[in-house]
Amino acid sequence: MDHTQRERLSALVEELTTSGEPQLNPSKMKDVKKICKTSSDYIDHFYHLIMRQLAQEHAEIRFSALQMVNELFSRSHHFRTLLVSNFQGFLELTVETDPEQPLPPPREVARKLKILAIRTVEEWQASYGEAYKKLALGYHFLKQIKKVDFHDVQARTQAERKRQEEKQKRLERLYKDKVDKATKEMEESFQEIQESLTEIHSCLKLLAPHPVEFNLGDLEPAVASQTEQSTGPEHRGKATASAVDEEQPCCSKDLGSIRDEDEAEEENSEEDSDMEELPEEDAFIRHTGLMSYKYSLDLDLSADLKVKESEENEAVVNTVRDLHRLINTKHLPAVRSWVQVFTKAGVDQQLLRRAVDLRTSLEEALRRHDELHIEYRERERRVMKAAAEGEEDEDDFEEVPEKEGFEPHIPDHLRAEYGLEPLASSSSSSSSSLLKSVPAPGPAPPQMSKRRISEEEQDPTCAAATLRVLRERFPSARLSSGPCGNGKEMPSEERGKAPVVPFGLDLYYWGEEQPTAGKIIKNTSQHQFWVPHEVEEEVENEELSAQAKSRFITFSGSFQPVKHKCGAPMSNGSLCERQDRVKCPFHGPIIPRDELGRPRNPEDAARLEQERMRREEEQPDWRDPELMRDIEAATGEDLGSSKTFGKKGSKGKGKKRKYPNLTDLKQDANTSRSRLERKVFNKSSIRRVTDAMNRLDKRKHEKFSNQFNYALN
Amino acid sequence: MLGFLFGRQTGLDDPLRLKRAESTRRALCLELNPDRNVERIHGNGINTIDIEVIEGRYMLSGGADGVVVIYDLENHSRKPHYTCKAVCTVGRSSRHVHKFSVETVQWYPHDTGMFISSSFDKTMKVWDTETLKPAEIFQFVENVYCHQMSPIARKHSLIAVGTKNPKVQLCDLKSGSCIQVLQGHRGEVLSVKWSPRYEYILATASTDSSVRLWDVRRASGSLFTLDQFNGDPSKSSSEAANTAHNGRVNGLCFTGDGLFLLTTGTDDRMRLWETATGKNTLVNYGKVVNESRKGLKFAVSQGCSLEFAFVPCGSSVAVYAVHSGELVTMLKGHYSNVDCCEFHPDYQELYSGGKDSNILAWIPTPRPPDIEEEQDSKKGGSQVALNPAFEDAWSSSDED
Repeated sequence: MDHTQRERLSALVEELTTSGEPQLNPSKMKDVKKICKTSSDYIDHFYHLIMRQLAQEHAEIRFSALQMVNELFSRSHHFRTLLVSNFQGFLELTVETDPEQPLPPPREVARKLKILAIRTVEEWQASYGEAYKKLALGYHFLKQIKKVDFHDVQARTQAERKRQEEKQKRLERLYKDKVDKATKEMEESFQEIQESLTEIHSCLKLLAPHPVEFNLGDLEPAVASQTEQSTGPEHRGKATASAVDEEQPCCSKDLGSIRDEDEAEEENSEEDSDMEELPEEDAFIRHTGLMSYKYSLDLDLSADLKVKESEENEAVVNTVRDLHRLINTKHLPAVRSWVQVFTKAGVDQQLLRRAVDLRTSLEEALRRHDELHIEYRERERRVMKAAAEGEEDEDDFEEVPEKEGFEPHIPDHLRAEYGLEPLASSSSSSSSSLLKSVPAPGPAPPQMSKRRISEEEQDPTCAAATLRVLRERFPSARLSSGPCGNGKEMPSEERGKAPVVPFGLDLYYWGEEQPTAGKIIKNTSQHQFWVPHEVEEEVENEELSAQAKSRFITFSGSFQPVKHKCGAPMSNGSLCERQDRVKCPFHGPIIPRDELGRPRNPEDAARLEQERMRREEEQPDWRDPELMRDIEAATGEDLGSSKTFGKKGSKGKGKKRKYPNLTDLKQDANTSRSRLERKVFNKSSIRRVTDAMNRLDKRKHEKFSNQFNYALN
Repeated sequence: MLGFLFGRQTGLDDPLRLKRAESTRRALCLELNPDRNVERIHGNGINTIDIEVIEGRYMLSGGADGVVVIYDLENHSRKPHYTCKAVCTVGRSSRHVHKFSVETVQWYPHDTGMFISSSFDKTMKVWDTETLKPAEIFQFVENVYCHQMSPIARKHSLIAVGTKNPKVQLCDLKSGSCIQVLQGHRGEVLSVKWSPRYEYILATASTDSSVRLWDVRRASGSLFTLDQFNGDPSKSSSEAANTAHNGRVNGLCFTGDGLFLLTTGTDDRMRLWETATGKNTLVNYGKVVNESRKGLKFAVSQGCSLEFAFVPCGSSVAVYAVHSGELVTMLKGHYSNVDCCEFHPDYQELYSGGKDSNILAWIPTPRPPDIEEEQDSKKGGSQVALNPAFEDAWSSSDED
């Protein structure tokens, strides 16, 4: 047997058993096994080592040792014979068969040790019980005499298994329910979804044919009629942009802005409308006389033009919008949830594929819709309309029949009449370029309201009219009505500000002169003969009378939360987060610091530096930081050498402990009771107390020595 | 071995010599044999076992649960593996079962048709083996610790009974009554033993730390009391009475020839006495752990050139050489205290019963086959396959 190997084995066993970890270090264990494999002598040695460790009064050591025993037991016959020959001892140390030898603390680990040991013995019995008589005997002993319920261990695991199975089953049932529900839903709404899909597809096709078809078919005449020869939308878009740039200077602001908007839009949507609007464009040209920019006209397809166009495609667009919303809010989430349910429950592929197909087609439809950017504008228009309705409920200007033809510039005062003004304003709000360029919408509403007011005033049935009449009749009153109204308003404001005080005497007598205040009336003596010679029946107490007229209000100030932080740099690199008002308990008075935690004021810095120096001086010289760093490197434990100050009494103990990984058993004893016990049952203190009591006794004896009952004891 | 055989062949040796040599060898190599089991019947500790001497085939056991079981020890199955079956049981369901723990069982020395059991239920029952019914019940006023019938008695059929009462009682099977009382002890009588040499000689051990030898024909009192100091007045205590131990004496056993008496006491000592003179031989057995509060049943081998004592000692059985006091070995197998053990004189087997309700059979290891034999068997290829559990199972992953 190699001595070094032997030494190494001992070291490994000690290391492994004192690691204090619930699992053995696999590489070290492998080393142990490798050594043990070479010869049975090592196994002998290992056996003795491990039995010694098993006998240690520390459950963690025993626990690790038991794990090692288990490792070797399953491998070496020699080790098995050795262990089985002393199986009683082994059981005593691990399963607590001897009630006089309870398992050592910590209790939690001891419990784990016992459970593990019982399980291990059971496993051994299952695989080696027949071959090793004593093992079988031990098993039966545990089972029948010690009444260790192996079945309990099993039952527990079985119960666990059962619980798990039940959980699984429940989950499956849940999933099945979900899947069933989803399938049913899908069956029900599949038709609907398909319908809406086809609908939206056809609608989109109506609005804008797919680029491929579109190039071939619908665009042809338009292209032919225009000078533009572009074939693809992008190309055309560029052309538009250039055209817009060119015409910018001579075009009216409105137009330019509209073109800008158009430019931003996707061309596809406008293509078909362009073609339709051709005559209108001509009209426009006629109106503006901008003949030279003819080719650009087909691009600006303005909101105004839609008026007519909407009649034709409004239904389609509306449908598209509705469908889009339907898909977005209802169908797609539903389909997504189905897909999720199906994938989670793992149903058959066909169902899943169907759901996924549905989802992809829905998403495709949405994507196409988004590509068209239709919805953007449509919604705007709709919003505008709603807003317009909201705004102009009273005036029925919408009823006015729309004018045919294009009107590039509508005077402000006529806008309402045209019913176009709100459109411009709302569209301007949506597109920033438009907003900048349109001057009209800003002032429009005030004008409108003014106008409305004047109208109302003319209406004799209206309250406004009456008011006007009144105002005319009492111009002075009208003038004063402002301040008067203000006067009425003001108290309420002030009332809000005024403090609320509890009702008191001063309020009770508020503004009254009180005759009896502060007057104390003394009763005259009731005695028949004996009357004080001079009786002042009334005494005025000024204090009291003042009290009746005044009130004490204690002013305590209001709480103001602390906004600053201590901000002193800490050892972990961060800054102190404490928000004390004046002084941080750890870092002293709060001083302004920069973001690195250094004090801003030089005098503060100097003071801190001085304090630090003083503390360093106070440090004991044994705490040489270099030495401590060495120790730290050796033990792997943080002794706090990086910290330059602070008390270190408790941590210095760390290096004294032999096995730092194990739970310190003595620490458990450090309770208030034990500390008190240490103090109270201290030898010297006991002696002191007994001395004192003896002295008392003696004195008593001396004092009462002549009395027999004291003399006796 | 060959030398003995040769000597026997040529008639130079006494036949006993070979027998003794071989039995000694066998007694020395007792071990727990995985092939021999004893059926587990008792649900509780086993207090006493007894093997009959007529055939050496049946074993009685009495348990703390009051159950008495008869085992068949003989293996007729022609297989090495054998479990001793319970032939019959006086179980808890029986009407006649002892109510409390059975302390002693003993076969009738001349026949297997009868056995006697005594119990803490203050009775001693004489059983008919065939019907498993008590033929006679002796009632006592105190718990019965022990009883014994003389193994060699021809002229009397007396059963000595030790109870909580200091008086040892002698019950006569012929009359079915208690015919005599031996007075002298001052404590509970934990063990009684008849001498295997003289049928009227009886030894009794008591909690008053004394061991007395009686001649039952003498009514006046005991023959003498064993004195651990051999009458040395300087060492003996101030009391007049002689003591055998410094604690309770709870075990008695004569050697096979009846010339010596072994006693154990709770002072963790074992002593060997000359029965003729009552002299302490002062053999030092070392510490024999003994915490039993009741009688301890231990055995002495018979027919060996060196006699051995098998003494329950905690959860193991200690084997001592009787005359040298040397501790030969410890038989470890029980998981709890061992209460009794019995030596089978014919097969040199030891049976031990303990509180873990196991009866363990300690069988001599078979002589290892000679080398030639082994070679033969290898040639023949009839080598018994090794139990797979005995093989090492180093995993290949440990290699690297």
